[in-house]
Amino acid sequence: MTVSLAFAPISELCERLRKREISATRLIDLYADRIEALSSSSKAFISLDLERARERAEAIDIEGSAGTGLGGIPYSCKDLFDVEGMATTGGSRVLADNVAKQDAEVIARLTRAGAIFIGKNNLHEFAYGATGENEIYGTPPNPYDASRLAGGSSSGSAAALGYGLCAASLGTDTGGSVRAPAALCGLVGFKPTFGRISTEGVTPYSWSLDHVGTLTRSAADAAALFENLAAESRESVPTKLDGLTIGIPETFFFERCDSEILDCVDRLMTFMRNAGARLKPVDMPSMEFTRTVSLTVQMPEALSYHNRYLEQRGDLYSRDFRAGLALGQCLLAEQYIRAKRFMETYRREMNRIFDQVDTILTPATPVIAPHIGAVDIVIDGTSEPAGNAITRYTSFFNMSGHPAITFPCGMHSAGLPIAAQLVGRHHADESLIETARLIETGYDFELPRPSLS
Amino acid sequence: MDKIQKQTLIGMRDQLGGYAWRDAEISELVDPRLGIITGFQDLLDQLEVLRKIDLQAIPPAADIAPR
Repeated sequence: MTVSLAFAPISELCERLRKREISATRLIDLYADRIEALSSSSKAFISLDLERARERAEAIDIEGSAGTGLGGIPYSCKDLFDVEGMATTGGSRVLADNVAKQDAEVIARLTRAGAIFIGKNNLHEFAYGATGENEIYGTPPNPYDASRLAGGSSSGSAAALGYGLCAASLGTDTGGSVRAPAALCGLVGFKPTFGRISTEGVTPYSWSLDHVGTLTRSAADAAALFENLAAESRESVPTKLDGLTIGIPETFFFERCDSEILDCVDRLMTFMRNAGARLKPVDMPSMEFTRTVSLTVQMPEALSYHNRYLEQRGDLYSRDFRAGLALGQCLLAEQYIRAKRFMETYRREMNRIFDQVDTILTPATPVIAPHIGAVDIVIDGTSEPAGNAITRYTSFFNMSGHPAITFPCGMHSAGLPIAAQLVGRHHADESLIETARLIETGYDFELPRPSLS
Repeated sequence: MDKIQKQTLIGMRDQLGGYAWRDAEISELVDPRLGIITGFQDLLDQLEVLRKIDLQAIPPAADIAPR
């Protein structure tokens, strides 16, 4: 059993399980040993379910289904998903005793596919924030540089994969909370079309913007999870990059961005052009008020959910989340409705763009992973809160509801991963993932494994 | 539009119903000292700009139907 197995993609794990080179039980033991050794430094997990995981692995080995579908593949989830018999804490003191009576829909689906749940990941409290900092359970560091953030809010999910503690993880994405930490940690982050994956049994943050998504080591792994998480689609998928039209935003998405990130995405564009894709400049909707629109939807919805806990447990919330909820109380109903109407205009404007292009390419983030504790980041002379910078290129697509995937495409001179983002048409999730997989297969870039020093 | 005042928000809390936010939390919204909420007035100013844009009959975003 080698360390490299802990960092192997699902496709390789399945092959080795099918060939009986490893057993599901040994695979669980491998990750369990690594979790024991690295849980305190990674701060990736809030709770573990290893006893039940071993029992399931033994059953899978006995019935001979390891490597079939997701049979025997160990995965984790952000601690917003209900798992029967375990507390769903939301990374907060407020729900420390909130034991779930049944599995969330997506957990049940993965169980039916043979995947083995091993534990629940740390997060920014109730997914409120993109830095992934958590004063109760600690702040998961970036696997490539422990002085920097893994990013959030699905910080523990990204750290769990980055430290080689599981094969895949489920997260939630309200403004980039799957895609951004995946990008900062050298992983593939996928959020589907709004509503395409069930949020049943997942603690909400903002119903209008929440998406369940996946963090994996490859686009192929994202496809393997997605086909088990969503209803089957009749959508045809591309078989080559040749002939695809890739939209390149003319504004916003390449502005105030680290120059090395721009260079990496530029090289990726050259590769896609050489592979036969047509690059077409696209005029995106105005992004001037998108953060305002997003906040105006988020905070009243978050308050509306958390109202059930505020009277009895209000003092258990962190100060910054309480402040956000208080803001939600002070917005007017018409402002909320108007923000949701702007969301609809974004959807319509983006759908018109997708009449002309198959996908849209952007950098995933304008910055590499910020240092832990960083409050503001200065880019091109403009200061911006770290959390806003991390999600500047991702949050719009939560409002438009289009599927989006981030994937590594280079390394920064600071030794941190750089990622690109592809965005697809509504309900063309499979095509989007396949386009990313075609890039992954053809593009001459291999991400180095983190040294975890 | 006038700048938001603490008393306005206290009035909303006490007269419209809602969770009993502490006075210090309401102060932070109108006069941020702790850096927790820094943009509420900016948010209101931007919302006022958005209010003046005619959205015609566009409804609020809802579910996304399969094509």
